[in-house]
Amino acid sequence: MDEEYDAIVLGTGLKECILSGMLSVSGKKVLHVDRNKYYGGESASICPLEELFSKFGAPAPDESYGRGRDWNVDLIPKFLMANGQLVKLLIHTGVTRYLEFKSVEGSYVYKGGKISKVPVDQKEALASDLMGMFEKRRFRNFLIYVQDFQQEDPKTWKDFDPNTADMQALYDKFGLDKNTQDFTGHALALFRDDDYLKRPALETINRIKLYSDSLARYGKSPYLYPMYGLGELPQGFARLSAIYGGTYMLDKPIDEIVLGEGGRVVGVRSGTEVAKCKQVYCDPTYVPDRVRKKGRVVRCICLMDHPIANTKDALSTQIIIPQKQVGRNSDIYVSLVSYTHQVAAKGWFVAMVSTTVETDNPEIEIKPGLDLLGSIRQKFISVSDYYEPTDDGLQSQIFISQSYDATTHFETTCLDVLDIFKRGTGEEFDFSKIKHELGDEEQ
Amino acid sequence: MATIKIPEQKVILCGEYGVGKSSIFRRFTNNTFVTATDRKSTLGLDHYSKTYRVCDRDLKLQLWDTGGMERVASITSSYYKFAEAAVLVFALDNPASFHVLSQHLLDIVTYAENAKIFLCGNKADLLSDVPQITDSEIEAFCEQCHNLITGTYKTSCKTGEGIEEMFTDIAYQLVQSNRSRLELQSMEQHGFKITPTEEIPEDSCLC
Repeated sequence: MDEEYDAIVLGTGLKECILSGMLSVSGKKVLHVDRNKYYGGESASICPLEELFSKFGAPAPDESYGRGRDWNVDLIPKFLMANGQLVKLLIHTGVTRYLEFKSVEGSYVYKGGKISKVPVDQKEALASDLMGMFEKRRFRNFLIYVQDFQQEDPKTWKDFDPNTADMQALYDKFGLDKNTQDFTGHALALFRDDDYLKRPALETINRIKLYSDSLARYGKSPYLYPMYGLGELPQGFARLSAIYGGTYMLDKPIDEIVLGEGGRVVGVRSGTEVAKCKQVYCDPTYVPDRVRKKGRVVRCICLMDHPIANTKDALSTQIIIPQKQVGRNSDIYVSLVSYTHQVAAKGWFVAMVSTTVETDNPEIEIKPGLDLLGSIRQKFISVSDYYEPTDDGLQSQIFISQSYDATTHFETTCLDVLDIFKRGTGEEFDFSKIKHELGDEEQ
Repeated sequence: MATIKIPEQKVILCGEYGVGKSSIFRRFTNNTFVTATDRKSTLGLDHYSKTYRVCDRDLKLQLWDTGGMERVASITSSYYKFAEAAVLVFALDNPASFHVLSQHLLDIVTYAENAKIFLCGNKADLLSDVPQITDSEIEAFCEQCHNLITGTYKTSCKTGEGIEEMFTDIAYQLVQSNRSRLELQSMEQHGFKITPTEEIPEDSCLC
């Protein structure tokens, strides 16, 4: 450890692993340390099942749960948008070769106490039970507008300036009612609250396009999920970093981040060892005095022996409960994966209900989500604080990632990573630096 | 793009740092040998595929190197996933690397329980008159592992001796044991790899 590095990365969560990989690929000498014995930090998948039970202080699972080693339970549920930022990162870095994926089978939205398939194309819009007859046609026209919309071609904007006019104005232009606005904004554009209505419409249009482009890639739904759980993602990027020279140390407590002149970081101390460095990249848990609490997220892991009702027995699915439907300010997300993803023993399902905490009783807040699941064999509830850094790290050269938010996909995760990389290195990540041909040669 | 899908079998290298896993990898990929254990030369080694013809059928062995992660930390469990074969490597001149194998074996059966396991004593060129690890010790080890070991080999990456024979035999063993499974293997059962497609419109887009 007593060496000098360009960058020391603390924590092996997904964000830190992506950063570590990107830095190593860019030719930096990287030391990557985790205080835990395992990779992944908060974004690990817990295996075996016994460990999950003991983590939450529950008595050991009985034999009906099958073999404990067949389980890989995520602590933070998320899906990948098939055409989203993370998939682009996976492809450009070649990390996709370490992983296999499955398409998530269904995407649903909650309305008036029941769930309906999220309509994305014109045909589905007309067949959907979410809207009345006239509304369907208005929604269809809206979808056609979004589909034809090209950011670089103002002719496709149809006398509407998406850079200045807000999203509410665009909804009004098509005469969409509150209900339709609700599922469009929350189930297609995947906003967590209604603030987007007052922002320029361009953002929402692009998000709806991301949803439909993602859907177009593998059918069924716009979401992907990796075999063996999300914990495979940080490990893939860690391997990338190692292959490009990154050094890994697990089970290494960090006692101090050593500062030098002007409050600039000069190294990291563990016991009596000090590793010198020019920069530190870390998650909020390593620097409690440099982050502030932004909010709380409640997550409930539910182990079940059946799929969710009214989803055509989908073996994986996502359900979004828009805030207004249940009188809240932020959406409730339900995600389900199963034994087909190698995350549970045969016949078992893992559901996760999550949302941003708004009251003093977060457990009650997720009830509408839990009610959709039917009988639950075992439930684990956790409430975690959501942190953000207090500064941009330019002065101290300590770059801190934000905690994982309640969103069910990785778009915000990747934006944070790319932003940190840019602040840390002063440049955008150059994807061409990765030598694709390494090991990729087919002969 | 290949039109006919040749079954591909993931083979991983396991063992202590410095026993010559990367050297085996290098012999496998381009039949070269680097003397200096220069860390830099390990950089960029990921995995490499080579086709073997066994009993009139083609089989692709996809060999994976550890990327040096075992040096100070543990290897990710991902490394073991989907592996059909694991080669436990030790150095014939280094008894410690042999006696620690049970630990690596445990990792393999934990994370890659379906993998066939092979034992490889490397650095055969360094063998002195009095062997550091005797054949009977190797046999005893195999017996202790309840015959989990499918085959044992002695190799030298320096001379290249035994390397090609080892992989040919591994390919043969995999075909023998997987005969029926290979025929049943369909893409449906597993997930799929994300592949770059229609990337051109992405780049021309301003968003």
